[in-house]
Amino acid sequence: MRRKRTERIAVYGALIALTVVFLFPLVWIVGLSLKTRLQVFASPPLFLWWPTFENYTATLSRADFGQAFLNSLMVSAGAVSLSLIVGVPAAYALARFRFAGRNVLFFALLSMRMLPPIAVLVPMYVLFNAFGLTTTRTSVVLAYTTFSLPLVVWIMRGFFEDLPRELEESAWVDGASRMQAFVHVVLPLIKPGLVAACILCLQLAWNDFLFAAVLTNNATRTLPVLMAAFSGGDTGTDWGGMTASGVLVILPVIVFSFAAQRHLVAGLSSGAVKG
Amino acid sequence: MEGTNQLAAVRSVVRRTPDRARRRVGWVDRNFARLAVLPTTLVMLLVFGIPLLFSAWLSMEAWSPDQTLFGGTFAGTANYEDLVTDPEFTGSLILTLKYTAGVVAAELGAGLGIALLLNIDLPWIGLFRTLLIVPMMITPVVAAFCWKLLLDPDHGVINFFIQQHVVWLGRPDTALLSVAVVNVWQNAPYVAILLLAGLRSLPAEPAEAAQIDGASRLQMFWHITLPLLRPYLLVALLLRMIFEFRSFDNVYVMTSGGPANATMVLSMYTYLASFVRFDLSLGAAAAWMMLLISLILCGCFIALVRRRDAN
Repeated sequence: MRRKRTERIAVYGALIALTVVFLFPLVWIVGLSLKTRLQVFASPPLFLWWPTFENYTATLSRADFGQAFLNSLMVSAGAVSLSLIVGVPAAYALARFRFAGRNVLFFALLSMRMLPPIAVLVPMYVLFNAFGLTTTRTSVVLAYTTFSLPLVVWIMRGFFEDLPRELEESAWVDGASRMQAFVHVVLPLIKPGLVAACILCLQLAWNDFLFAAVLTNNATRTLPVLMAAFSGGDTGTDWGGMTASGVLVILPVIVFSFAAQRHLVAGLSSGAVKG
Repeated sequence: MEGTNQLAAVRSVVRRTPDRARRRVGWVDRNFARLAVLPTTLVMLLVFGIPLLFSAWLSMEAWSPDQTLFGGTFAGTANYEDLVTDPEFTGSLILTLKYTAGVVAAELGAGLGIALLLNIDLPWIGLFRTLLIVPMMITPVVAAFCWKLLLDPDHGVINFFIQQHVVWLGRPDTALLSVAVVNVWQNAPYVAILLLAGLRSLPAEPAEAAQIDGASRLQMFWHITLPLLRPYLLVALLLRMIFEFRSFDNVYVMTSGGPANATMVLSMYTYLASFVRFDLSLGAAAAWMMLLISLILCGCFIALVRRRDAN
């Protein structure tokens, strides 16, 4: 009994130490965002102070931050909706039917998700440029489908496979077409999967930097691009503003990710591990 | 039963469908799978197939952005030869492979440790599981500049803790380490939750049998848990290799490849060649080299998943 208790204490100790190490950088950054300019550069660093929200009000009143937030929202939403509309039927077909080219499609989807984005981006930039699409949000949405479409198909395929076949089959027996069974029987039952796919895609799109950095200009740039511009070269002196905007960028992702936590594993492993 | 409402709904839809429409439906039904994958196939061709083919062609041209799309002159393998003989590229290739190996090893080690701890059933363990995956969700660019502030030589909190003045990102030896730390910090939790999913799904019988036979904890871990966990470790290993091989965001924000090319990973090299020097033909060639290496890793991953599905 005694041995068990000391063991427990050791495990908790290790867990707490790990959590402190892993969360300290984040906590410190949140702390910096709540300091005045003088407090940020205090030496030795302040560990206790009266928090100020001036950095947040300053960031939120910046026109470029608001514009970038809107751009991020639009391209993420665009990429996710496009991927869902295009990808969900494909995921259903992959889960339920055998057809010619099925394996090729599998392989192509997986490589699309796995290959380095810069490899697609170089030719994409040249092609988009030739068609006058660079610096538009459309180009970013199209670029984002290279990762969000495979993700949607992989996640949704898993959900469709877990759904019992009998439901659609009885709908078919009742005279429903494949399409009717899909829309009226399968889709309503798969809503949790759609939500999970949606959130995981949103997270990836929201966090992307490389595609947006190349395919946008000052008017269409997304939040990560703006953040990189803030911190480019010398870190400057506005650490409060930088950290406050950083916190505002990551806050929505963290909130949404917790909502989809249950499905994180399947999404992250491209379906190789079931959560 | 779940789905009863849906069945009732579909029955009423079927009743309302006129005969003429049903005959048309016959053709759609016969080709349903093909029609369902058609949009995806088209989008994939548009954003993936065509760009890759175009980039293969571009990499064999001498093309500059002031020319029309097909106005370049044929260059054969000249771009590839330029790359292979460019010490900056070969250096970058070796650096990227080393970086990938080091970061992935650290991530797997840390991830396995975290997963083993999180697998112990204790009160409040759910809280730790939640807290420890937070770094994974942070936007990589934001994570990178946060670490840049933490590592700041004059005002960074890390130099305060060690009471030394280290210019972390300005020295070739510490710059690569600093960039790597950000990746490990963000992705060790990723490995941990993959392995945790694996640990949770392991059968309990072998461990119980070994316990009855009087095996020690270490023996059980080494001879039972680890071999059973092998498929999950392989998945994590390959996925992390694929994703670290393309590292870009943290390098771009923290060092932009410097100092003295000490952090010039392949993505950064390709980015600079393509979008700073605008030598897009050379960029396309470098991109194809990256593609081929990734394709090998990706092939390993698919073979692995296939083998697991077959079992």
